[in-house]
This record gives sequence, structure tokens and C-alpha cells, in this order.
Amino acid sequence: MTERKTVLIRYDEIGLKGRNRKYFEKCLLKNIKRALSRFDDIHYSSPRGRIFLDIPSSLAPECSVSLKAIPGVASFSIGVSMSTDFDAIAALGVQWIEPKLEPVESLKFCVKTRRSEKSFPKTSPEVNFEVGSRIMTALSPSGLIVNIKEAEYVLEIEIGRSETVVFDNRVPGLCGLPVGSSGNVLCLLSGGIDSPVSAFMMACRGCRVHFVFFDNQPFLGRGGYDKVLTLAKKINHFQTRGTLYVVPFEEMQGAIRDHCTEENRVVLYRRMMYRIAEEIANRHGYLALVNGESLGQVASQTLENLAAVSCVTPLSVFRPLIGMNKESIITRAKEIGTYDVSIEPQPDCCSVFMPKNPVTRSKIPFLERDEEKIPWEELRDNALAQMEVIKVDDLP
Amino acid sequence: MVYLDNAATTPMSEEVLGRVNESLRDYFANSGTPYKIGLDAKGLIEKSTESIARYLKIPSTHRIIFTSGGTESNNLFIKGLCFPNKKTAFLGLEHPSISETLAYFSQFENEALSLLPFQREGRLDLTSLAKLKDNRIKLLCLSHVNNELGTVNDPLKIISALAKESPQTKLFLDGVQAIGKTGVDPEMWKGLAGYSMSGHKIQGPKGIGLLVYDSKLVLNPQMHGGKQQFGVRSGTLPLPLILGLKTAIKHAVAQTEQTQNHLQNLCRHLTQGLQAMQDRIPELDFNFNSLVGVDITRQSPGIVNFSFPPVEGEVVLHHLEAKNIFVGLGSACSAQSKEPSKILMGIGLSEEQARCSLRISFSLNNTIEEVDKFLEAFGEAYQRLYPTFLQKAGHR
Repeated sequence: MTERKTVLIRYDEIGLKGRNRKYFEKCLLKNIKRALSRFDDIHYSSPRGRIFLDIPSSLAPECSVSLKAIPGVASFSIGVSMSTDFDAIAALGVQWIEPKLEPVESLKFCVKTRRSEKSFPKTSPEVNFEVGSRIMTALSPSGLIVNIKEAEYVLEIEIGRSETVVFDNRVPGLCGLPVGSSGNVLCLLSGGIDSPVSAFMMACRGCRVHFVFFDNQPFLGRGGYDKVLTLAKKINHFQTRGTLYVVPFEEMQGAIRDHCTEENRVVLYRRMMYRIAEEIANRHGYLALVNGESLGQVASQTLENLAAVSCVTPLSVFRPLIGMNKESIITRAKEIGTYDVSIEPQPDCCSVFMPKNPVTRSKIPFLERDEEKIPWEELRDNALAQMEVIKVDDLP
Repeated sequence: MVYLDNAATTPMSEEVLGRVNESLRDYFANSGTPYKIGLDAKGLIEKSTESIARYLKIPSTHRIIFTSGGTESNNLFIKGLCFPNKKTAFLGLEHPSISETLAYFSQFENEALSLLPFQREGRLDLTSLAKLKDNRIKLLCLSHVNNELGTVNDPLKIISALAKESPQTKLFLDGVQAIGKTGVDPEMWKGLAGYSMSGHKIQGPKGIGLLVYDSKLVLNPQMHGGKQQFGVRSGTLPLPLILGLKTAIKHAVAQTEQTQNHLQNLCRHLTQGLQAMQDRIPELDFNFNSLVGVDITRQSPGIVNFSFPPVEGEVVLHHLEAKNIFVGLGSACSAQSKEPSKILMGIGLSEEQARCSLRISFSLNNTIEEVDKFLEAFGEAYQRLYPTFLQKAGHR
């Protein structure tokens, strides 16, 4: 067995970038290094279009787990670096294929070569033939068959300027763009199923996502707070360095409930949440707000209500789930591991704050008239002054 | 900290904790193995079983099975005896581990007979027992002490009435809330087909409970495996938990009379305090859902359940929590639903009354001073929240 292995990382849309490509590549490399920083015996290199890791064989399983959670990685393969010696490559191929042939009568296989080093004297099909024929000589009596179109086993060879890598696996990554390449955004996290999925989707578009949670512990207890901490940790796993802002919201909700029109309450709460979120975003240079709204999913998510909420802030408000149905959102939540946390029973709003018939098509002038009845700037500033700021990386 | 939710669970006593800790370290051997240390473990389990039988005066006609707790004991007995087509009855005010088990039977077209129309003050009205004969009921399942109300179904009275009215119906009692609070009359075992108990309600460890049942009955096992415990409940026996349970039962039984007297004092102090508060706070309009001032054969003094609309119990709970006082909801929502449980509504309360209620449950550890602290904090929270909820009620 080789003591060291080479991980060949392919990236997604960065390949399409023009002059900015270097920036995105650097960003991805930095994220990979950070995700693997707990291991000291890894060497990194990034020839054009690829990132290579030279790792001790024993770290392969852990590296694989980490790489699967890094946005921007399209796929990766774990293989072996060697000189471009056809005999040696074929011998390695035989060593890998032999055990796979043992339990079966026959196995369809092919060799695929990619040359990034175009000065190499043989073309890719020629390399395929050279290696493939040597392997066939050794293993065709055991049932190995060449079948390029329906291969059950693919031996891949990547010939680069400095090294040639041989591998037989491709693990899909999260795709998208490396976190940090698009800037920082602030996601309104509720503890439900939707907002964590939204946050994850924005992380996959290269954003570092920070979180804001509006808390009402005197009425709802600490369960929601604990849940949001867990969710923020789960999303942060895909990006690191996120911050969670916990804003006490009891006073604001109480004022709206006591002084404003009942049916407008839900939209008014949300307008205040956006104003507070905007203030946090401005303080820290976050460029947009993100939420988990999906059009028409609940009464507060009609076109009129979405507009009535967005218009309180000049910041962009992103709703990555807007066109998704609940089932696909749930599937996504299960994939990223937030679903089981989200469905833990926990009241998200006490019934005393909820109107009997929430408005579905709110009118902005009426909302503004309601807001004149409460000192909302003062309440906003009070809430911000009492806000708890949590570095999600530091959570145990 | 003031802990007044002892019907939910209790802290382990120091002696139990010491016993469990020590045996976790010292007796690791599997009691099913044939060598010395395994046989020693087996011997300790047998001794513990004998001691438990002695403490609870369980006759040799009945078997003691260790389970993971009350829920498993209830499932094991009811399913083991009646699944899928034997006819069952219940009062309709039982813990979900009984009512949901019976609801599961209805998927197999075996609907349990509900005696809810015959409940009086949260207890079974014995005049209804003729119904059981008419409906050829094989098993009647009841709580010995109701988990939300503390009302008592007196085993001896039910047994003698059952013998007259429907002799072919067997009786199963959920005794989880009864041990240590109502005395164990050895006469009751003669008429009991099964009885369940749980360790953690009596200062014992979590994860251990008992099923006591008439050994003439054949129970179909719900867990198959190494045929431990007569094949009725397979699985390696948790010796440390068994020793902890034995110790907890020993104390609970030995202190029953002392506990009853102490709990009656606390209960009287609380109910009088609440009544006095009603005189002081004119807007406070409450009802006791559990019985007040009746003897111990009708109501356990360990549980006081009361309603105080329009203020929601859950919100009061969180306000008390902020003062480090922990109480139970009068009507605990089930894990998946926000609807109040069926027990309070089953005794005729409205949904609002059920929602606006708390359950105070005592142990020997509680003091009169703690009850005073609760009363003070409850009065404050109620007065603070009343205007809010009144407004909500007004809007409706």
C-alpha cells in the first residue's frame, strides 16, 4: 500500500470565470485549508483548473468527509501520484481491479485519460490503449472485458505538468461557489425547516452567512434559542466563521400587539425584524438579507406581504426558496441534516401575539399608520443594545 | 431552584446515585454468562427481584419483569396480552403509553371501549362496569393515579366490583404515579393481572421500570433476542439500574406514610394559598382540576392541577422559569401536537381552560417555603400577564 495519497479536487463554476478566476480559486483553496487545518501533514498545490492535496493514506476517510461539505468543490478523487510509466500504472490498475473481479464472473472496464500537459508525447486515446492493453493481458483470463460505454470500473489517469495521478473514484461535492467569494449576508433564522435551507443555499452561492434570531424567552422559553444555536452550528459547518445575533423581541412584539391593528401584527413584526436586521447588516458590512420564505406557503407569504416587508429596507432581500414546494425543501433539509432539529416541537410564536385573522394582502399606508402608534426606533435600539452576539465557531 | 414537577421526573437520591455509580464500576459482567462474575451479577439481580417483591408485597403468583420504564411496561403488557384482536377498555384519561397503544390496535379493527362517559371527578365510576361484560372485554386498563390530575382509581374497590359485574375482565393498572404516594395493599395483587412502575418517578434512575404480572398469563414478547426474563423481555439486564431501582423502591415504600403526610401539608398550603390569592387579586378566577380536600383514596396529595383562564399555562411556566421555579403544564401537549392533551378535556374542561392550567407535583424534598415562593411568583406573573391575555380574549 502507498503511504501517501493524492486528492484531486475539481471545482465547479469557477472554471467559467474569466479574469476573476484566480480570486475564486484562492478562495476555495483557503476554505479547503481551513477545513483541513486540524491535520498538519497535508501539502497543497493548485495547478491550473485543479487543486491537489498530498495526504497520508490514513487521512483519506476524514478528508473525504470534510471535502463533501465545502461549497465550490464539484467533485474529488482520491488516488496515487506516480511517474507516467505505463507499466507501473497498469500494475497499479491490476492491483486495484483484481479484488473486484474475485466475486464476479466478468467486469466491464475502461481507461480514461486526461492530459493537462499537452506536451506529453502520446495522446489521451493512446495512453488509454497502452495502459488498458497491459491490464487486459493480465486480467482478461479472469473475466475483465473492455467496454467504454458501459464500464462498471473506470481507471482514470490525469497527466499534469508536474505529476500524473491515477484513481478509480469520483465523489460528488456540493458544487456552487466557494464561501466568501460573494461576500457576507444575514439570514433570518426562525428554528423552522425553511430558513436553514435558505442559509445553506446562499452558502453554496459563495456567501458567508450570518444569522439573526428574534427571541421571546419570557413567553416561549429557551427551547427555541437552543434549537437555533444547533441549526446555526449545522449550517456553519459548511462555511465556518458565521456569527449569530440573538435579538430580544418581547418588548417590540408587546408594543405592536398592544397598540397596532390586530390583523396587521404578523406583517408588522416582520417589518421590525427587517429593520433590526438591516441595522446589524449595516454595522458589519453584510450586503443582503436572506429568509426562508416560499411564495404562498403561509398567510404572511403572499406577494403583497412580501413586498410590504421588503420595502422597509434598501438592502437586497433574497428568498432562495421562493419557487420551491414544501416537499423539496424538506428533502433538502434532510440532506443537510437540519430537518430533525427543525421538527423538534417548539412554539415559534405565542398565541397571545398572533392575530385571529392575519392580513393576507397588507396595504403599506395602513402599516405605516400603525407604526406611528409605537416608538419603534427606540424599541429597535433597545433590542439591539440587549442583543447577544455569538461566534458560531466557538459554540461547543 | 424550586422544583415542583415531580410527576414528570425526580432527582435521584444520593443513596441511589451512590449505588448506581458503584455498581456501574464494579459489576460489569453480563448476568447471562456462566462464569463467576456473571453468576455474581445474576445473583444480585435475583436478590434485587426478591427484595422488590418483599417491599411491594408481591406474591409468588406474580412475575416481575424489568423494562426500560413505564411506557415499555404498558406496551409490553397490553400488546403482549391483547394484540391484535382481544377486546380492551380504558377510561380515556390514561397516559399516552396506554391510550396510544390502544389507538394502535384500532388499525387492526380492534377499537378499545372508552368509558369516558362514566368518568366522575377524573375517576372510573364503578357503575359502568356492567358495560364490560356486555362488550366481552378481556382487559380493562386504568391509571392507578392519574398523571395529570392525581386522581386515584382505588384498586380494591375496582377489583371487587369487577368480580361482581364482569368477572371475565382482567385489570391492568398503570402505577407509575402511585408508588410511594398511595400505600400498597397486598390484597390488590390477587385481583391484578398487571401493574407497571417506573424508577425515575421515585428518586430512582431513568431507563428502568417494572412490569408485575400474573404469571399464569401468557405474554407475547415485544422484544425478541436472548430470551432473558423468561423470554418475555429479551435483552441484557442492566444490573446497576436494577440495584438503583431496588434502592429507590425500598425508600419509597418505607417512607410512604411520611410522604403522604408531608405532601398533604404542602398540598393544603398550596390550595389555601391559591384560594387566598383569589381573594386578594379580584381578576384571578381559577378552578382546581384535581380534587381538593378529599381523602387519599380519591386524590393523591402529590399533584395539584388548576386552571386560570385567560392566561396560558405555558407562558406562566416560562415566567416562573425565569425565577428558577419549575412546574408542569396542567395539560402537557403531546410531542407532535400543539393541542392540549385529552385528559383535562376528557373531564369536561374547554380547550382554553386546559391550555390555561398548571400542574404542581410534590416530592418529600419540597418545603412549605418553596410553595410560598411559587405562590408569590405565580401571583406576580399572573397579574403581569392578565392584561395581555384579557386583550387577546377580548379580540376574539
